[in-house]
Amino acid sequence: MQQYLVESLKALQDHLSRARQFYQVVEAAPGDAHWQHIIPPAYPPLSAQKPQSSAKSFFFAEQEPLYVFDGQFFRETLPSPEPFVLFGVQSCDLTAIHYQDLFFEQDVYYQARRRQALLVGIDCVHPCAQGFCYLVNAGPGVRDETADLILHPLEDNQWLLVVVTAQGKEAIQGVALTPASAQEMNQRWEQLSHCEQEFDDHSYITEGVERLNRGEVSDALWQRIGVQCLACSGCTTLCPTCSCYGTQSQPFVSGDGEPVAKAVEVSGTLIKEDSGAAPNTEQPATQQVRFWDSCLYEGFQREASFNNPSAQAGERVKRFWYHKFSDDFLPEFGRYGCVGCGRCEQVCPGVIGVHSVMKRIVDDA
Amino acid sequence: MHNLTPSAIELVDFYDDGEQARHFQFRLLDGAVSASADPALTEPTLTKQDTGWQKVQIGQFFMLNVPGVGEAPFTFTQMPDEQGHFRALVRQMGAVTTALFGLQPGQILGARGPYGIGWPMNEISGKRILVVGGGCGLAPLVGVVDHLVEQQNYTQLTVVYGARSQQAKMLNPERERWQQFIPVFNMIENGDLNGDENEYHGRPIDIMPTVLDSFGELPDVVLLAGPQVMMFGMADYLVASGVYDHAIYLSIERRMHCGLGTCGHCYLKHQYICTDGPTFRWDVLQPYLPEDH
Repeated sequence: MQQYLVESLKALQDHLSRARQFYQVVEAAPGDAHWQHIIPPAYPPLSAQKPQSSAKSFFFAEQEPLYVFDGQFFRETLPSPEPFVLFGVQSCDLTAIHYQDLFFEQDVYYQARRRQALLVGIDCVHPCAQGFCYLVNAGPGVRDETADLILHPLEDNQWLLVVVTAQGKEAIQGVALTPASAQEMNQRWEQLSHCEQEFDDHSYITEGVERLNRGEVSDALWQRIGVQCLACSGCTTLCPTCSCYGTQSQPFVSGDGEPVAKAVEVSGTLIKEDSGAAPNTEQPATQQVRFWDSCLYEGFQREASFNNPSAQAGERVKRFWYHKFSDDFLPEFGRYGCVGCGRCEQVCPGVIGVHSVMKRIVDDA
Repeated sequence: MHNLTPSAIELVDFYDDGEQARHFQFRLLDGAVSASADPALTEPTLTKQDTGWQKVQIGQFFMLNVPGVGEAPFTFTQMPDEQGHFRALVRQMGAVTTALFGLQPGQILGARGPYGIGWPMNEISGKRILVVGGGCGLAPLVGVVDHLVEQQNYTQLTVVYGARSQQAKMLNPERERWQQFIPVFNMIENGDLNGDENEYHGRPIDIMPTVLDSFGELPDVVLLAGPQVMMFGMADYLVASGVYDHAIYLSIERRMHCGLGTCGHCYLKHQYICTDGPTFRWDVLQPYLPEDH
C-alpha cells in the first residue's frame, strides 16, 4: 500500500470533490456532530468527534420507494445518485458499512448507492465516549478492507494518507503528494497502540458476550431488561449495522408533491407510446416503499392473525443482543454484528444500551 | 441480484372454501416487466423478467401484492402451468387479504417469487408417507399429495386433516379426490360430524395410534403443516413413537416483507424462514426453537 504525507488537506478535499458530491462530519456543538453535504471550498475542520448517526443512511435509505404500480405494470425505482465521497469516516462506521456490504450484497437499491461512493476513513487517536471498537475488531485504526483511503493525523496539521484500493489510487491521481517516510508510517501504529491503551476496562463486555454464547443469560433477566425497553427504536436506528426494514404501499406522489389520483395521469410519463400498455384508468397509481423497522417494536413479528412469536419485550431484547453478539452469525459475517460505537448506550432512554446490559448480565451471574 | 419488483398478474377467478377462505386463480401476464434505473420514471425501458416461475418447487411460496394495500406471502396450491396459471388458498385475515377478497376477476395484481425451500420431493418419492395438515395449513401440502397421487409415486400415502369444526373444513374437493386412491382421515375438533365414514371427533393426534397401526411399520417420511402448536406436538409425539426426527418435515409460517432474507421479520435465531425454510427438517429446526416450544 502506498502512503503519502498530506500537507494540505484542502488540496485533497478540492481534488476529491471535483467529480463527486462531498460529505463530511460537521461539529455543530460538543456532542452534536453530523454528516453534512459540503459545498466546496467551505470545508469544516476534519472532526474527530463521532457523529450522532453513522453513515448507514447513505446506502440503506431510511425510507425509499422500491417500485411504482401504474395500473398496468410494476416499475422498479432504482436510485441513481451522483458519485460521492464520505470524507473522514471512523473505523467503527466503516466496519459497519463493510458488514452491510455483505448483508445487502444482492440488494439492488443498496448497491446502486454503494458503488457510487468513495470512502475516506479517519483513524481515531483517542477513545470516544462509550466506544469499545478495539474489543470487537472495529478500530480505533481503520481496517484496510473497509476503506478506499485512510487518513491519520500527524503533528503540525499534517496527515498520513494510506491508499488502500485501486479506486482510492485512481481518486488521488493528480494530487501533489510526498511519499511518507518510515518514521511517519510507524508513528501511525504507535499512536493507534497508544489509543488502544487509553480505553477504559471493558472486560464485562467480553464476559457478558461469553455468557450470552454459553446460554447462561436467564429469560428472567431478559424479561427484567425488556421491561425497560420503551420500543423507541433509538438503538436500532442509530446502530450502524441494524438493517431490518418494513414495506408499505402508499399513493404515488408526483413531482409537485401531489398524490396522483388516477393512473392515467401518470401514464403520459410512465408508459411509452409504443409499449402497447394501456393503464387501468380507474386504479390509483401506487408505490411500494421500504423504511427502517425495529425488531424491538411489539408488532415486528406479529402476524395478521395476531399470533406473535415475539410478543414479550424480553424476547425482543434477547433477540437484539443475540443478533449483535451470537457466535451463530460468525460463519456468515466473520465477525460480530456490533462494531463498538456505543451509540445504543448514548441514545437509550431506558438505560439498556450495550454497557448497561453487559454489566447486568455479568452481575446477574 | 434480488428483485423486489413484482410481475404483473391477473386475478382470473375464485371460489369460496370454508370459513373466510377462498381459492384464487391467477395468471402471469405476458410482458411482465420491470423498468430500468430511472429515478424520474420518464423513459422506462421495458425488459422481460426472468422470474423462475416455470421452476416452482412444491412447498415454495410467493409474495402477493395488492396494489395500494401491501404484500404478504402465500403458498401455491397449484404450481404455475405453461400458460402461467397458478392457484393459492387464501384466508381472510388482515389488510392484504381483506382487500383481495373485495376484488373481481380481471384485476391486475403483483407477484414475486418463487421463494424458499420446498418439500424434499426426491427424498420422499416411493416411500411410506404420512401427511398431516391442520386448518388452512393443508394448503402447502396440496401440491405434494396431488403430485404423489398423480404419479402414484409412493409405497403408502395417508393424509390426516384436522379442522376446528365442520364449517371450518377446507379443501373438501381435494380430500374427496384423494380418498378415492389413499386413506384420508378427517378430524373435527368441535361440533357434529357429517356422517362420512372417514370423519372422526378429535384432533389429528387423537387418531395417530390408528394411523400408525395402518402403516404396520412406522412411516418413512412425515410432512406436517398447520398451526405451530399442532405441528410441534405432533412431531414430539411421532418421535416418541419411534419415527426418526430427521424423517419429519414441517412448513413454518412467519410474517414476511421481502421473502429474500433481508427484511429481518421472519427470523428464528440466525435463520430466516423465507430463505432457510419455509420447510424444515425437525432435527434441524429444533435447536432454533425456544426450549418451551
